Amino acid sequence: MNLLSTTFLACLALVTFAVTAIASPVGVGRDKTLSAQPKANSIAELVARYDSSSCIECHQQAHDEWAKSLHSRSVFGTGRTAATFKTAIINGAMEWPASGVKSMKDVKVEHLMGCAKCHLPQLADATDKVAQEIMTTIETWQKAMINEDEAKAAKAEKTLSSLNINCLICHNRNAITHKWSEGYPKKDVVYGSKDGDHPDSKFTKMAKGQIMSESIQCGQCHGLGPNFDQQNPTQCATAYGSYLFAYIPEGGNKSCQQCHMNESKLGHNMQSYRSKDMANKAVDMHVETSSVYWRDNTTIRPKAAVRIELTNKAGHGIPDG
Amino acid sequence: MPIPQQMGKGDRMGRGPYEKSGLLEDTSLPPLRTIHSHYDIFFPVKVEEKDGKKTSIITSETMELDVKLWYLPFGTMDDDPFLWKEYKKTVKISTEGK
Repeated sequence: MNLLSTTFLACLALVTFAVTAIASPVGVGRDKTLSAQPKANSIAELVARYDSSSCIECHQQAHDEWAKSLHSRSVFGTGRTAATFKTAIINGAMEWPASGVKSMKDVKVEHLMGCAKCHLPQLADATDKVAQEIMTTIETWQKAMINEDEAKAAKAEKTLSSLNINCLICHNRNAITHKWSEGYPKKDVVYGSKDGDHPDSKFTKMAKGQIMSESIQCGQCHGLGPNFDQQNPTQCATAYGSYLFAYIPEGGNKSCQQCHMNESKLGHNMQSYRSKDMANKAVDMHVETSSVYWRDNTTIRPKAAVRIELTNKAGHGIPDG
Repeated sequence: MPIPQQMGKGDRMGRGPYEKSGLLEDTSLPPLRTIHSHYDIFFPVKVEEKDGKKTSIITSETMELDVKLWYLPFGTMDDDPFLWKEYKKTVKISTEGK
């Protein structure tokens, strides 16, 4: 092999590497993932990509349970969550000199990922136009609420509520944490408890998800502390950190799913303290009282001595935050 | 509750998730552990003066105790407080003896 052909091969290798680099990961995914398609250019497109309405026909109960959970309204919440998306921009990004955000028009996907990493992870698979549309819709909703324009507020709420953590986020997009060892989630597969064919025109196969019943599945969002993958780390939840570093060292051995889905019998309606049963199971309160007739020469100060024992039986600190 | 640190530095608490990083202190109930606390609740008395001597008079021999465990998601009773547990008991002091 002469010098010329060696140089040519080296150049070819460089070109190949460059092409590979350009064509490499989109969102969390690679080739055969939902994330790897061209980025969604509108809220409607993003909702359509992760549309899980076809699941309802066979999984009605799971759907109905999920619909009662906060996962079903992870962006809108009670309205407070949506408002916080905006606050994070106004009180956060717009105040930070190096964020690149001077006004709402500058908001890009990267600026919303502090919230969206967990409230809407699939936003990583959308263009900045979608980030703009989300902010505009939140503003529209807020203005409509102030102006008592119920129809306009309801329409904006419906749009924001269409963005959520649905079946496909947990059972496909975020079903695999260790992608190099397990492979990337495939776009035609739903990950659950077993392997086999899946009677759906789009998701034709099912596969056993290795982490579906493991705490790490929930830990992707329910928090270790500061998210250092962000340019400006954010911190919403710390429950998974507490689970790993406080519950496990105390001898705890249950998974998130065991308490929040199975033992609670809530299934996909994963709740915390807002469920009376969950609240009751999580904390034991034991109170003992006695009367004490305290006195000195001239003063009497009878008192009730109150001794309180609180035992947290949950898999994390209470409250989390 | 875990008290988040503002931007991971100093002694200020961060409120919005965008400014929370790290913890300043944690007063939450730790998992699988029992926390004990003790309170002395004094019975109300009124002080009367008789022959130049002050005497405490008990105004009631019973006290209705209401122990409540509240969770305040936004740090104040004005904003979505959640009553987690409640315990009621009547405590009596003796009426006989010196």
